[in-house]
Amino acid sequence: MKKLLIAIISLLFAVTVNAQNRFPKPDFESGYQYPDITYQVPHETAWITVDIILLVLLMSIVAWATLKKRTHKPVVAVSIISVAYFGFFRSGCVCSIGSVQNIALALADDTYILPLSVLLFFILPVLFAFLFGRVFCAGVCPMGALQELVNLKNYKLSKTVTAMLRMTPWIYLIFAILYAVTRSSFIICRFDPFIGIFRMGGDLGLILFGALLLVAAVFTGRPFCRFLCPYGALLSLFAQVSIWKVQITKRPCINCELCHNACPVDAIKPPYDNKIKETRIKGVKRIVNYFIVFLPLMIFAGAVLMRSISSNLSRANKDVRLYDMVVQHESAPQDILSLELEAFYGQGGTIEALAEIYNGIQKDFRLYSTFAGALIGLVTGFTLIGLSVKRTRKQYEIDHANCVACGRCFEYCPQNSLKQNEL
Amino acid sequence: MTNNENKKSPIARRKFLQTLGSAVAGGAILSVSGGLMYRAKRQEATLYWQIDPQKCTQCGRCETHCVLPISAVKCIHANKVCGYCDLCGGYYRSNVKELNTAAENLMCPTGAIERQFVEDPYFEYTINESLCNGCGKCVKGCTSFGNGSLYLQIKRDLCKDCNECKIATVCASGAITRVAFDMAYQLKE
Ligand code: SF4
Ligand code: SF4
Ligand code: SF4
Ligand code: SF4
Repeated sequence: MKKLLIAIISLLFAVTVNAQNRFPKPDFESGYQYPDITYQVPHETAWITVDIILLVLLMSIVAWATLKKRTHKPVVAVSIISVAYFGFFRSGCVCSIGSVQNIALALADDTYILPLSVLLFFILPVLFAFLFGRVFCAGVCPMGALQELVNLKNYKLSKTVTAMLRMTPWIYLIFAILYAVTRSSFIICRFDPFIGIFRMGGDLGLILFGALLLVAAVFTGRPFCRFLCPYGALLSLFAQVSIWKVQITKRPCINCELCHNACPVDAIKPPYDNKIKETRIKGVKRIVNYFIVFLPLMIFAGAVLMRSISSNLSRANKDVRLYDMVVQHESAPQDILSLELEAFYGQGGTIEALAEIYNGIQKDFRLYSTFAGALIGLVTGFTLIGLSVKRTRKQYEIDHANCVACGRCFEYCPQNSLKQNEL
Repeated sequence: MTNNENKKSPIARRKFLQTLGSAVAGGAILSVSGGLMYRAKRQEATLYWQIDPQKCTQCGRCETHCVLPISAVKCIHANKVCGYCDLCGGYYRSNVKELNTAAENLMCPTGAIERQFVEDPYFEYTINESLCNGCGKCVKGCTSFGNGSLYLQIKRDLCKDCNECKIATVCASGAITRVAFDMAYQLKE
């Protein structure tokens, strides 16, 4: 009954949407003046400038501390500042992790106009990763910093499990880009587990998830960074080939294992003696085979699979859902309209115009799902190949893709505590 | 990794790959930032979430879906559009028997609309923003029966400028979009 009433009212509304002045402006005889109401506008541009300056400053401090001074302490200070400022004070929006979506959308669709601040938030940490490694992750990212600050112990998962779990950030990234370029949703923002904690309110399920992650972060370093964060995955590509790199020690490694235990993100690979004896040429042949047979197969399979479910994926788009509702309503009209349909008909929408939008979105989804599927195949393939390729290492080595440049390992390396002149 | 490269030592090959990787990464950064920077300069970007009052159908989700505990959406009153009516469609419920300020007669569930007598028969209406929860009930009443001077808008001083406004993802009418700096506020005048 109530819904019916609303429907009637909204029908009324639909007709009269432009007839605004049902009642004429009053002629006041008492000399009444309209109140002068102004609405407060915060100094957003100023704050954004502060954000960017602080971002660069903090990343420079981390780079200086871990590459030049080779100490961990300033990184802790940076983490605290970042959690307080970017996290709690600025409530974490727009963050670099989410900016991936804006960038993807801007690259795919040139009607979307990217704010310069978002571009800087995206590109500066990437640039720093390219120069100095993941110094953004070390303590400038409020989410990483928060996990770092609560971390006490570093229980490690098995190598295979870790490698498999490390695929999730990539898949998350691929889906985030897919949904961003089709203007469906920004899933990274929607499922951000820490924003609720920073804002001290919000979706209860996500806050709970964030709290769980933090509890896990006490016992094993940075679970979100390692197994979920899509931006970290992107940064790892650049950190892998960065110009300057973190070194555990400048002196020769004595294989004491202490740094390996200290690293929160399990980025230090232990020495490994390859037991399988195969000739070099045979080994190379095997790997080449992986790349020319196995990898293309994975890519193809991924692409086909994702393309076949593209219309299911497209239901994440609001217009697609609306179209489905309208089609359903046209085929079996109902008395009580949903709020969406009410608004649709109220605005004078026609199914033809909507169908055009719908077909456009479906086309986009088919194209981008195929790409996404190919990428997922590529990531899976690389992970599997990575698991089967063994390389002999004589000493402890940093895997720079995973290293977050926190500098914790420095303090643990006994070689570092030798006196300076013994270098 | 062809066969003639195998003659080099693995170290040299790794170095070569590393340099190649650096070049690709550096090139990618330069081209993406250059291209996007060029476009960012050309047009003013849209950053601020605002409601288009002409489109909004007062579905009620503004009250419930904002990420803030109390929505950043508030009712705004355009005095210059208002008819200053005694029987205000936004102030009283549609089926009131007596025009007095008893709570059961009032549209606003939180009593955020205050009215003041101006002169016969006119009343001035003001929104007490600290009480308003953005439910839009009054807006519905005013748009249906009055001049439409009450409308919902995202308050810039309260809004967190989420990268994706959570209300926009569920807004029944698609009224919430990003606007450029000089278009926020979208006010009715
Ligand atoms: S991996 Fe992601 S969440 Fe972790 S510190 Fe880096 S950007 Fe932040
Ligand atoms: S700096 Fe050392 S401890 Fe820190 S992430 Fe890198 S390898 Fe691990
Ligand atoms: S952008 Fe965020 S804070 Fe602002 S109205 Fe939307 S959901 Fe609320
Ligand atoms: S969600 Fe959209 S239609 Fe509903 S009240 Fe808010 S702006 Fe209006």
